Amino acid sequence: MGTPLAAPLAGAGSDRAAVGARQRPWLAALFRTRTAAFGTFVLTVVVATALFGRALAPYDPREVVARPYQPPSAQHWLGTNDIGQDIFSELLWGTRASLTVGLVAALAAVLVGTAVGVVAGLAGGWVDAVLMRATDVVLTLPFLPLAIVLAAFLGPSLGNTALVLALVIWARPARVVRSHALGIAGHAYVEAAHALGGGFGHVLRRHVVPAVLPLALSQFILAVSSAILAEASLAFLGLGDPIQKSWGSVLFYAQSRGAFLSGAWPWWVVPPGLLIALTVLGFALVGRSLEAVLLPRLRGR
Amino acid sequence: MAWYLGRVGQYGLVLLVAMTFNFALPRAMPGSPLRYLAGEDVGLLTPAQVADLRATYGLDRPLAAQYVAYLGDTLRGAWGFSFQLGKPVAEAIRERLPWTLLLVGSSLLVATAFGIIAGAIAAWRRGGRFDTAALSSAILVDALPTFWLGMLFVAVFAVSWRLLPVFGAYTPWGDRSGWPFVLDVARHLVLPATTLTLASLSGTFLVMRYAMLDVLGQDYVRTARAKGLPERRVVMGHAVRNALLPVSTVVFLNLGFLVGGATVVETVFAYPGVGTLLYQAVLARDYPVLQGAFFMLTVSVLLANALADAVYPLLDPRVRRGG
Repeated sequence: MGTPLAAPLAGAGSDRAAVGARQRPWLAALFRTRTAAFGTFVLTVVVATALFGRALAPYDPREVVARPYQPPSAQHWLGTNDIGQDIFSELLWGTRASLTVGLVAALAAVLVGTAVGVVAGLAGGWVDAVLMRATDVVLTLPFLPLAIVLAAFLGPSLGNTALVLALVIWARPARVVRSHALGIAGHAYVEAAHALGGGFGHVLRRHVVPAVLPLALSQFILAVSSAILAEASLAFLGLGDPIQKSWGSVLFYAQSRGAFLSGAWPWWVVPPGLLIALTVLGFALVGRSLEAVLLPRLRGR
Repeated sequence: MAWYLGRVGQYGLVLLVAMTFNFALPRAMPGSPLRYLAGEDVGLLTPAQVADLRATYGLDRPLAAQYVAYLGDTLRGAWGFSFQLGKPVAEAIRERLPWTLLLVGSSLLVATAFGIIAGAIAAWRRGGRFDTAALSSAILVDALPTFWLGMLFVAVFAVSWRLLPVFGAYTPWGDRSGWPFVLDVARHLVLPATTLTLASLSGTFLVMRYAMLDVLGQDYVRTARAKGLPERRVVMGHAVRNALLPVSTVVFLNLGFLVGGATVVETVFAYPGVGTLLYQAVLARDYPVLQGAFFMLTVSVLLANALADAVYPLLDPRVRRGG
């Protein structure tokens, strides 16, 4: 979740963040604490798996390679599923799909959210009021049911899933970035830039956007973790891409084909969930570490 | 007063957006909206039958007229007809709603109580063993997919240990009256409610802890300590009471999350609530039910928010006086 935390914390330490933008503290943030280092390590492994997993997979997970419902063995480390596909290979392939959807959705959401946030924060007045009203509406609507309805209408594909998630996720970064941008807009140097004849676009590009970028980066990483979780939920509800393997779709088949009743859950249900949890945790830990560096009031809390 | 008007306006706006969204979706998709309103079998009908259906759904009228009629229908509870279920959407949802309210309500209650207590203790003993443990578990649990947690519960408690029922909300062939039924329903509620509680606990915990840390650093807490009040009274009387204010708003903000969580949890446990209805509608591509369920869940979240607005002044005298 973390939603409730964002609001009261945002806007703090804008000076430090402005300084930080020059010193690039986020590289240090990756290894600042033991948990952050753990998160960085997990992310490195996951990204490597996404890149090279297909080459490393012992089988093609789209092919039937053995009898169904096999327990783990030397040939099939995590056994086989209901139609005899290799589960270990499914997970290796699925890493790329799950991670890509998470990254693409989060990137789109944070781009939109940051744009809305900086424009609202700098412009103020009715522009701010309208944009924030819209943001609050999206925040109030029940997140997952909204995504479910959208995904059902758009039809199942990885691209549509990313689009749907971006449409429901952008509001949170928008709120956080906006309160930060408000703080920046109140600074003397920004007023000076206005006074010297700098137009709205100039001030936005030269002063507000650079100051907000580190925060947007931390919001991006946190958004990836919620996007990956939401993708898994959608896939689990049968709204995933039927052709692409993802961690969530493996769980969808495990649920609908009776993994519990066949006693196959220790190798069919546990591993994909652990992969999702580890990846989400990795992103969350790194995101929190970044946030703590950028919003120092958080540190140690 | 102005504050209340603003809130009501915001809720009205959300309601309007939800209805507009529902109105626009079938009409914005490629192909005939009839496919989404009346089911995918429309392609098999004769042109005369299609024209007939179009008239029934008002699709032959101008878009603006359709929109106005749609808003009126939705507010009156006419949410369309599900050909899959063979009954009006509103009726299907009304049958399921009590179970979702039971599940979400009990989880919200337990998660809020535990979240507040744990958050208060963690902040009070900041950096201590409990604080560290609770904080790490909160971050850890946040990373778990809710439905997966439910699946593990099913596997461990029901299939391996055979301790608790994991299917439905009551025993289908059992007694449907009196205490045995209540007990039966409670037993069926344990695992889904525990799953949902665990999934939503950390939000309340983190906010309570943060608010409490904030309050404990305030001057009036130092004053209370300085004048020799027992620690218990400082914490309970001063700190917790004030920390509860931000928490109360967050509890209801969490509700949107909880309702989403209920959707997947109900699916895992085949719990007969609105969430399972939503899942079945996804599988059957039953669009009227999908939209009705989404609208109902939105209304529930708004009602809960309005409830929070009504409760808030009871907790905070400043709002009462300021009006």
